Amino acid sequence: MATEDPLRSKVLTGSQVGELSAGTTFVATAERPIDASGKVKGRFSLGPRANRVLGLLSPLLIVALWETASQTGVVDARFFPPPTEIAETFWHMLTHDAQGTPLPFLNMLTESVLMKDLWVSLSRIIVGFFLGAVPGLIIGLSMGLFRPVRLLLRPIVSATYPIPKLALLPLVMVLFGLGETSKYVIIALGTFFMVLINTMAGVLNLEKIYLDVAKNFGASRTDFYTRVAFPGAMPLIFTGLELGMGMALLLIVAAEMNGAAEGIGARVWMSYAIYNLREMYVAFILIAALGYLFAEGLAALERKVVPWKPQ
Amino acid sequence: MTHDKITIKDVTKQFIVKHSIVTALKDVSMTVHEGEFVCIVGPSGCGKTTLLRILAGLETMTSGRIEMVHSDRNKPLNSMVFQDQSVFPWLTVRHNIGFGLKCRNVDQKEIDEVTARYIKMVGLAKFADAYPYQLSGGMKQRVSVARAFANDPEILLMDEPFAALDEQNKIMLQEELLRIWEGSNKTVVFITHSIDEALILADRVIIMTSHPGTFKATVDVDLPRPRTISTLRGKEKFNTLFMELWNILREEVWKAKQSEGLTYEEGGPGTGPAGETCEGSVICDESDLVM
Repeated sequence: MATEDPLRSKVLTGSQVGELSAGTTFVATAERPIDASGKVKGRFSLGPRANRVLGLLSPLLIVALWETASQTGVVDARFFPPPTEIAETFWHMLTHDAQGTPLPFLNMLTESVLMKDLWVSLSRIIVGFFLGAVPGLIIGLSMGLFRPVRLLLRPIVSATYPIPKLALLPLVMVLFGLGETSKYVIIALGTFFMVLINTMAGVLNLEKIYLDVAKNFGASRTDFYTRVAFPGAMPLIFTGLELGMGMALLLIVAAEMNGAAEGIGARVWMSYAIYNLREMYVAFILIAALGYLFAEGLAALERKVVPWKPQ
Repeated sequence: MTHDKITIKDVTKQFIVKHSIVTALKDVSMTVHEGEFVCIVGPSGCGKTTLLRILAGLETMTSGRIEMVHSDRNKPLNSMVFQDQSVFPWLTVRHNIGFGLKCRNVDQKEIDEVTARYIKMVGLAKFADAYPYQLSGGMKQRVSVARAFANDPEILLMDEPFAALDEQNKIMLQEELLRIWEGSNKTVVFITHSIDEALILADRVIIMTSHPGTFKATVDVDLPRPRTISTLRGKEKFNTLFMELWNILREEVWKAKQSEGLTYEEGGPGTGPAGETCEGSVICDESDLVM
């Protein structure tokens, strides 16, 4: 009897069951055949292209509402400039240098206000990120693999991790000056803890049996790092990298608040000082774009590096 | 068959559980000859896994002495096949099987050769580049067996490697194991709770008792090799040995259960329905005892 089929069981509930006379052959048929385009008939579903369109619909709707509200004066256009004006500013910043001179197309990528801000912040984020992620990874693996290392370092990590990195900014500036180094250091600090804690958790979450296998098969100390702990903890290492990246974006704005002439963070504070909110919104767009690109990049890298995780 | 490969002398293992001492193994002694296939059978919790883990170097003993003759320094002394899922999820079938060789820094060309041979031998040629999540339980255990064999150890330690598999897969893998082992001259210590499995595989079966784990009896299995399930099953000798082992073990299992407060409806370990119904099936499970 095909009574286990959830679709069919409906037919067989209640008094209807009794109506099936003895000797009836019950034939189960698929009530929801899947057609060639991968849709299940009878259920609300769109093709993959339509799904993507649906995902774009809500941001477009918000932008349209914003534009109308700002143009009609429902919201204050000084605080919420219409998106078209922001786009105009965006274009101006992309095509002109700091003196307001128009740039030939080829020089835009390096000399325009917008691209300069972008490159400066990007290099700070990348350098700081690696300065934090690499030691975070190594110490995290060591703390996960070796109990004495864990016992030795855990109190320090637990005590320093909760200190808001923003609170450390003045100290970092005193120690490392107002130049690039202090920016690298503050971003590195934020990334370091995220990567360290997640890497350690990744190793500690490994089934003990994998360590037994490695030991029985004669793995050296290096093998424990490179062949067991590192690949095994990889999914959580990526979680750490993603959180570290978020932290870096958060800290860059604060780090560029003082003593920086260029960079996305500096742009936010300068536009605040001169009350040019349109430029501030352009900076927001840049930060959002960076965050999106980093997240997508890390996700693509993860698919490549961790092909063994069932999707 | 004359050299002593493993000599275990008065091995005792004690754990501390909640401030009291639990003796897992008590004065266990045995000798395994070179090239011999020994099965250790005993009720669950009798310390057989602990003994194997001590042999594998994953656990220390409280007292006693173990001697394992390491005759070829180029080969590892022992490799273990684990009971649970132990195949690395982040390595493909190919790289899992080559893991031991890689750790020993064997030449990559040789690793490729050896790995390819064992992939073929366990019938996973189509899955050489698959990841464990794409494999069934039986296939994963094949990888685990191949990984141990590919490492080419002098002694194989197997901890109920087929216990979690379904009957068909179990029979297939037992025969595969016999086929690979018979051409290899390796010493094997194989742990199981199944009398059937022990008789199919072993030259000698050692029966363990529990609480604390000690060796109770040794039975030689003089069934001809090469063996297959179909040639063994019909044999009178097979059935006689089965009953011999079961009679020794039944008493043990009964004692263990009695100490837990369970009783037989038929009134004890005599002859009776309990003995008959258990023939040909896996023993030691509660379901077989309290009927």
